[in-house]
Amino acid sequence: MQYCTACQKAIASIVIMDLNGGAVTGSQHLCGPCAEQLGVGQPKAPTKFSAEILEDLLGGLKSSRPATSRPRAEACPGCGMTPTEFRTKGRLGCPRCYDVFRHELMPLLARIHESQSHRGRLPGRTSTAPVVTDEKNLADLRRRLEEAVRGERYEEAARLRDDLRRAERGEGARP
Amino acid sequence: MSKSNRGDGGRGDKMPEFRPGTWLQGNGPESDIAICTRARLARNLQGFHFSPCLPDDEARELYDFIVQRLKQSGMPEQLHLLDLDNIDDLERTVLVERHLISRELAGSTRARGVATDTEEAVAIMINEEDHLRVQVFASGLQTEAVWRRAERLDDALIQRLPMAWSEEFGFLTSCPTNTGTGLRLSVMLHLPGLVWSDEIEKATNTAQKIHLAVRGLYGEGSRALGDFYQVSNQVTLGRDETQIQSDVFLAVGRIVQWEREVRQALLRGTARSRTLDRIYRALGTLERAQILSSEEALGCLSALRFGIEEDLLPGFTIPNVNRALLLSQPGHLQRFTRERLQPDERDQRRAHLLREVLGCSR
Ligand SMILES: [Zn+2]
Ligand SMILES: [Zn+2]
Repeated sequence: MQYCTACQKAIASIVIMDLNGGAVTGSQHLCGPCAEQLGVGQPKAPTKFSAEILEDLLGGLKSSRPATSRPRAEACPGCGMTPTEFRTKGRLGCPRCYDVFRHELMPLLARIHESQSHRGRLPGRTSTAPVVTDEKNLADLRRRLEEAVRGERYEEAARLRDDLRRAERGEGARP
Repeated sequence: MSKSNRGDGGRGDKMPEFRPGTWLQGNGPESDIAICTRARLARNLQGFHFSPCLPDDEARELYDFIVQRLKQSGMPEQLHLLDLDNIDDLERTVLVERHLISRELAGSTRARGVATDTEEAVAIMINEEDHLRVQVFASGLQTEAVWRRAERLDDALIQRLPMAWSEEFGFLTSCPTNTGTGLRLSVMLHLPGLVWSDEIEKATNTAQKIHLAVRGLYGEGSRALGDFYQVSNQVTLGRDETQIQSDVFLAVGRIVQWEREVRQALLRGTARSRTLDRIYRALGTLERAQILSSEEALGCLSALRFGIEEDLLPGFTIPNVNRALLLSQPGHLQRFTRERLQPDERDQRRAHLLREVLGCSR
């Protein structure tokens, strides 16, 4: 049994070998999600298609940013940052980048902090009660949005996108 | 939009009259060497892009949203909001020189601002590299006090704003060097003893081995002007706030002790006359010079500060030297003399102004 070399959390289910003239020169063990992230999993054409539309929808707020020529499927669906951008800037564009660029972020964190996970305060554990962001509601909205996109119900999707944005800010849905 | 029809929105448009910050008075613990301690928290909001991907219109929306939430009652600090678009570049430079805002925030063209108290103990930057940069200052070496105060403020912000965080990574920041606690504790140190005796490199290397960053407070790059340094924690992930606080406190305490020992050595035996010569030459320059660059001024003021701390210069006070350090910087110099000056004019004014501030113009 071997842990995924990218996220170092899940059990690896895929082994990628570097071949050089028939000889194995290196190998990488990956879990399913990470393999997919790195573009080495099984291609799923329909999902990819709707993911692009979803991204366009989510991108409604970032219209003023110039479009990049990078293949969009690799970019963070939350902010459009590409792996190349992340590598050159060393900056994250939104909370979702932490998941999207996980396999590159982990070694970076280890190098900077000699640690890969947080110890200390979190909003849920402060002395006073924080704003309640309903994680379950958020997940539900994200799922419905994805469904609407897949079902090509774009008007509904746009409305759900706005609801999601507001919910993420803890503002609640507007009438 | 003109300046005059901007203020009604309650965005805050006037520079507050700062009372001399507590750090200027130099009355905190170890303030002979540790000038001031700062806690900084990096925070971002859910539902908005982080700074590297934040379009200008969304930055405006974010700014207004934060301002509106900061105005809700019950904040633990009395804060005055300053929209940086509503003050001129000279006033922004003054804020940079007082360490209340960063040079990057001053130079940014986005909607941005700072919420401060009038004692210069608290400054919350809005729309910096992170959506919020909370800063708390105190005189001398006071890592625990600034952290506690920042924590109280953070509690109030968390109640008002939906912070971006995860169980695994803690507070999510735009740069991975701040991820986790988002806490950077810095202490500004005056280390003429270590610099003059060529031990500063050893001290810096030792600090870096225990993951502290050491950099010059003034000047660019590795060259520190006027023997002023800033020591801060490098690690924000995997150690909690209390551990970080005690790491910095203990390490800085050791540097302070080292500096004291070296100073004593510099004032003993054959070294003494060379040290005194350096201090009195600096005094001579400050008393007589007609043209003084900010670089030379920093060097002289450092030597003077050393002399005062070691009781060699009766009649001079630390608060005055601290004030002189602040006023010798271009923004303050021009604001104090109430006119914009060319660099060579500045050097003349500086020479005169410093004599006035230090009380050696009679
Ligand atoms: Zn994995
Ligand atoms: Zn992102």
